[in-house]
Amino acid sequence: MSPGPTHARRRSVKRTLTGYLFLSPALVFYLVFLVVPIAMSLYISFRDWNMLVPMTGSRFVGLKNYTYLLTRDELFVIAVKNTIIYATGTVFVGMALALGIAILLLRVRGATFWRFVMFAPVVTPSVAVARIWGGLYRPAEGLANAILRMVHLPPQQWLADPNICLYSIILIAVWAGIGATVIVFTAGLKGIPEVYYDAAKLDGAGPWGEFRHITVPMLRPTILFLSVTGLIGAWQAFDLIFMLAVGGTEAGTSPVRSVIVLALYLYQMAFKNLRMGRACAGAFLLFLIVLGISFLVLRVLRKGGVESYE
Amino acid sequence: MRRCAVLVVCFCLLLGLVATTGSVAAAKTKLVWQVHWSDFQVEGVYKGEGADRKLVSKGLRQYVEEYMKLHPEVEVEIQSVPMEEYLQKVLVARSSGVAPDIYGIYSLWGVQLVQNGILDAPPAAVVKDVHENYTPVSVTGATIDGKIWGIPMEVGNYCLVYNKDLLKKKGFTAPPKTWKELVDMASKLTVRDKSGVITQYGFAFLAGWESAVVHPYLGLLWDVGGEFLSPDFKKCVVNSAEGVQALEAELQLFKTGGTDPAGSVWTFPQEKVAMMIMASWYEQSLRQGLGDKYDKVVGVAPVPYIRKPVNAGYTWFLAVDSASKQKKAAWDLLTWLTAEVQKPKNTTRLGDLMVETIGSLPCRGIDLANHPDTLNDLYTKTFVEQLKNAKPEPNVAQGAEIKTILANEIVEAWHGRKSAKQALDDATNKIDEILAEFY
Repeated sequence: MSPGPTHARRRSVKRTLTGYLFLSPALVFYLVFLVVPIAMSLYISFRDWNMLVPMTGSRFVGLKNYTYLLTRDELFVIAVKNTIIYATGTVFVGMALALGIAILLLRVRGATFWRFVMFAPVVTPSVAVARIWGGLYRPAEGLANAILRMVHLPPQQWLADPNICLYSIILIAVWAGIGATVIVFTAGLKGIPEVYYDAAKLDGAGPWGEFRHITVPMLRPTILFLSVTGLIGAWQAFDLIFMLAVGGTEAGTSPVRSVIVLALYLYQMAFKNLRMGRACAGAFLLFLIVLGISFLVLRVLRKGGVESYE
Repeated sequence: MRRCAVLVVCFCLLLGLVATTGSVAAAKTKLVWQVHWSDFQVEGVYKGEGADRKLVSKGLRQYVEEYMKLHPEVEVEIQSVPMEEYLQKVLVARSSGVAPDIYGIYSLWGVQLVQNGILDAPPAAVVKDVHENYTPVSVTGATIDGKIWGIPMEVGNYCLVYNKDLLKKKGFTAPPKTWKELVDMASKLTVRDKSGVITQYGFAFLAGWESAVVHPYLGLLWDVGGEFLSPDFKKCVVNSAEGVQALEAELQLFKTGGTDPAGSVWTFPQEKVAMMIMASWYEQSLRQGLGDKYDKVVGVAPVPYIRKPVNAGYTWFLAVDSASKQKKAAWDLLTWLTAEVQKPKNTTRLGDLMVETIGSLPCRGIDLANHPDTLNDLYTKTFVEQLKNAKPEPNVAQGAEIKTILANEIVEAWHGRKSAKQALDDATNKIDEILAEFY
């Protein structure tokens, strides 16, 4: 007697349950450390809570925290604007430079050594990076101004001038992260079959044509991956800016309004101003922005071999 | 069978022993004390290595151990937290139900801690003692809504710290007394390289540290007769004519080339700053930074004034958590440390700790009077003298947020992105919005 449909369904249910049983440690982890905190944050974002009293004692304020941030808080708008500049600068300028370096490193001797050199800042702690660059950027005795003087350009107040201090920090972030991007691009470049370039050469394509019509399209999955992960990371940037520009008695000289980014704004709102409701509302707005940008990047790059990312 | 019985008896005895030890431990009153002090301030200052290692200055740990010897039923755990993370730690500890019993509270945080029921009201004897024996500026610092909420621990104020060598090289034999003199001298003491970059600051502020922005400004504001907030805290009045005058006075330093926004008070030990307005606690850093040159270089004078000498003050006070199960034990420990007078020095233990190890000004009158060697030294003497001209920053709800707003707007004016009036108007509008929530 062959097993009937009920038996097959039972087996299928059992298999599914077994699967979930094996998945349960990971699911519990995500539930406790991701889903619950996100749900809690959403709940807090509708309340006026200062963390000094139990959350149950906080006041429900509806959308007030959101409307305050979007319509009345000048600093939040400045932080969003600064974050857009920071994210765009670090991710896209960083990627363009990294791609150039990765292409060059494929053609030079001792590429492994140079990749190691490029990667060293990635594993350097942010505190050390901030210290080193803080010294390089010193107006009087820093290396950055010494270079400018050598080429007869006027010296700058790299971290104190409100018009350039954010770009000075972007430069550091690009330097600190470029090694990892170079490695990923190198892997992507090595994955492009040589046969395409050979065919292009036979068709009379030059280096620019090869780059435009072969390298870039073939690197789309890599570019997509780096764009999305880079943008997500850049929108959460905190440590470097905190250490170089603000933060405690070892503070720098930067005008806070010129360098404040969203993560720093949220930290100050929550732990300094004791307005956890507003900070959570800001965090949710940040989440929506990152989600929107990720979708946008996916949409822009979906053609050309990356449909599977949808 | 017999062996089995012996094993069971042994196990029961062991269990009993563990239980007894546990119950003895449980019988102890455990107090957790959260401080914002660094390692040597907690553990004490030692000299020498190995067997020659000798305690030269007692830290909080030694005082606590002394108390535990006198009171074996009490166990005190010290939790050291960096100042920048102090309030966060309080919030997190309270949220998770493991709040410390004793805090050192920056007066600016006090209002919200009190309004939210975090702090325990001190016993009447403590309140009486504070009123009778502590310096007025520190009593005001520990007073919130007209009531004392703790024992003043540390009082801070500001003076002009200057580099005697750099002044002498430019022919100045004395520090400036008035703000006008300061502006004149700062521009003459500023040295620029060929490209116009300042290599030596006549005067330095620090844009990234709120206290270094707001406290010198408040001193000038009070000096010219202005006020920051209305007495009932319902309005910010910093954009008054006096407020603008005070900020314009600061801006004079920028306009005459005596400083720029890239200046930093932290470069004083490298002898790149001729003058700065600095707090009393900076002495140890200057000593370490300047080494043997300290006595030759460092000079301290009252903050130069426009109309009358005033300097901003702030207070840290010791408080007990209202949720503590050991409130009485906590206040007993604090009373022993802060009020029991030691003979023949006529000082308190906290006074000794503050003066000899922490490097801050104590708040109790006898501690200020009876540490002549340390408090009359080159650096601290002027700070002690200037306590009479110190005015505490107001203990207002959302004090830290309000301070940040004022600091950010002042820095905008320093950079020339806003006029003094515009910056103070903008600060006033934002601060008024916050005050309306709480008053």
